[in-house]
Amino acid sequence: MEAVSRLLADHGPAFWQALLLTWKLTVVSFVPGFLLGMAVAVLRLLPLPPLRWVLTGYVEIFRNIPSVALLIFIVFALPDLEVVIDYEPSVILTLTLVCSAFTADYLRSGINTIAGGQIEAALSLGMRPMQIISAVVLPQALRAVVQPMTSLLIALMLSTSLASQVPFPGRELTALVSKIANDSAAGMAAFAVSAAMYVATGLLIAWAGAVLEKKVRILR
Amino acid sequence: MSRTLEDILFGAPGPRARTLARAMSAIAAAVLLLLAAGIVFRFHSAGQLDAPFWEFFAWPTTWAFLAKGLLGTLASAAMAAAIALALGLVLLVGRLARTRLVRWPSIAVIEFLRGTPTLLLIYVCFLVLPSIGIKLSTYWMLTLPVSLSTAAVVAEVYRAGVLAVPRGQADAGRSLGLTEAQVFFHIVFPQAVRYIVPALVAQLVIVVKDTTFGYVVTYGELMQNAKVLIANYHALVPVYLVVAALYCLVNYAISRASKRLGRPVH
Repeated sequence: MEAVSRLLADHGPAFWQALLLTWKLTVVSFVPGFLLGMAVAVLRLLPLPPLRWVLTGYVEIFRNIPSVALLIFIVFALPDLEVVIDYEPSVILTLTLVCSAFTADYLRSGINTIAGGQIEAALSLGMRPMQIISAVVLPQALRAVVQPMTSLLIALMLSTSLASQVPFPGRELTALVSKIANDSAAGMAAFAVSAAMYVATGLLIAWAGAVLEKKVRILR
Repeated sequence: MSRTLEDILFGAPGPRARTLARAMSAIAAAVLLLLAAGIVFRFHSAGQLDAPFWEFFAWPTTWAFLAKGLLGTLASAAMAAAIALALGLVLLVGRLARTRLVRWPSIAVIEFLRGTPTLLLIYVCFLVLPSIGIKLSTYWMLTLPVSLSTAAVVAEVYRAGVLAVPRGQADAGRSLGLTEAQVFFHIVFPQAVRYIVPALVAQLVIVVKDTTFGYVVTYGELMQNAKVLIANYHALVPVYLVVAALYCLVNYAISRASKRLGRPVH
């Protein structure tokens, strides 16, 4: 306890900034990842075989590749192809791609929960396929995936720790712990503080997800 | 087999819709091919298609080295999975205990291990533990943190399975005079495992992904061996592409297995 209070006296603002950076990375990769995943899920419904194959490949690749392997590829290998992306955008791009693949996969399962009769009913009302997707399919699919998306958001938040693998301007929680552990003997206390921050953030997201789930779930 | 949703949506196109779909497909294919050609051209113009970057893949030693790395990955992942399955059961039993003195610490441990990034746990084993006199081998510096964080997730997966077993099963066991432990280990848990086999196998994908951090502690797994190859041949792009493909293949195979196990058995 004493070690923790001494650590907070020395590094308090640094921890606060690290927590904010972790939150920021989570949000700025989740939002575009979610939207991209939604676009992929919708495009996969279209009756265009080449597009479907490529998007299925996209989802399978980014769902199965370890995020850190993807990040290292973007940061260290892409410059050899004369594509240079700065460190922070690289981390965000990595997390966005992975998030979009999982989102597309979860939405596909959400779409599968919709009864075919609803589509037939909408068609018989004269609705066009794209109208049906936006008015019947997507709203229900989105409501069905609140729980997996909450887990995904927590996993994404924990994945921001891989920003510590590149020379990042500013330190998020994991990078801060590794720096403190390298410089001083306060590693254990630093680990305890940052772990508490991760756990608290995760519980906060889980709680918000549960509230949202209760509000929007479809009882069948 | 019922029709999929997109079959119903676009199921019976008229002649005009069919022509339109065909034209759009052709356009999509053309755009995607152009994109692929653009990528290949970028490889070419950056000189990444030159022989020195690829010829060492023709040597068996390269593949032997990569195979050794993959074996290291699998050795760590398998051990981590085995520990996680056992430790997860311990955490589950603690989580379900009647006494708060056991239950609350178990919940705390589960939430703590589940809510902390594996990478952070690896850093603790790598940087913090040696400073307080605990020295682990690189294998355990990777495997221990991965198994700990997986154990917590596995405990929650187990719990979901246990809660899915109908209550009547446990009641019937008790009315036969079985003890609580017998009811749990002979009746509830075996049934619970059946529900969650797909989820457990899917968790294996995450274990394999987590072992990628082996290069942090310089344990000889696939990613670490890739770095060694790169240091030797200065071929970043080809080596990372091949390694990424290997990871994708392994994980894709596991995902497929999990989906297959998910199908009803009756």
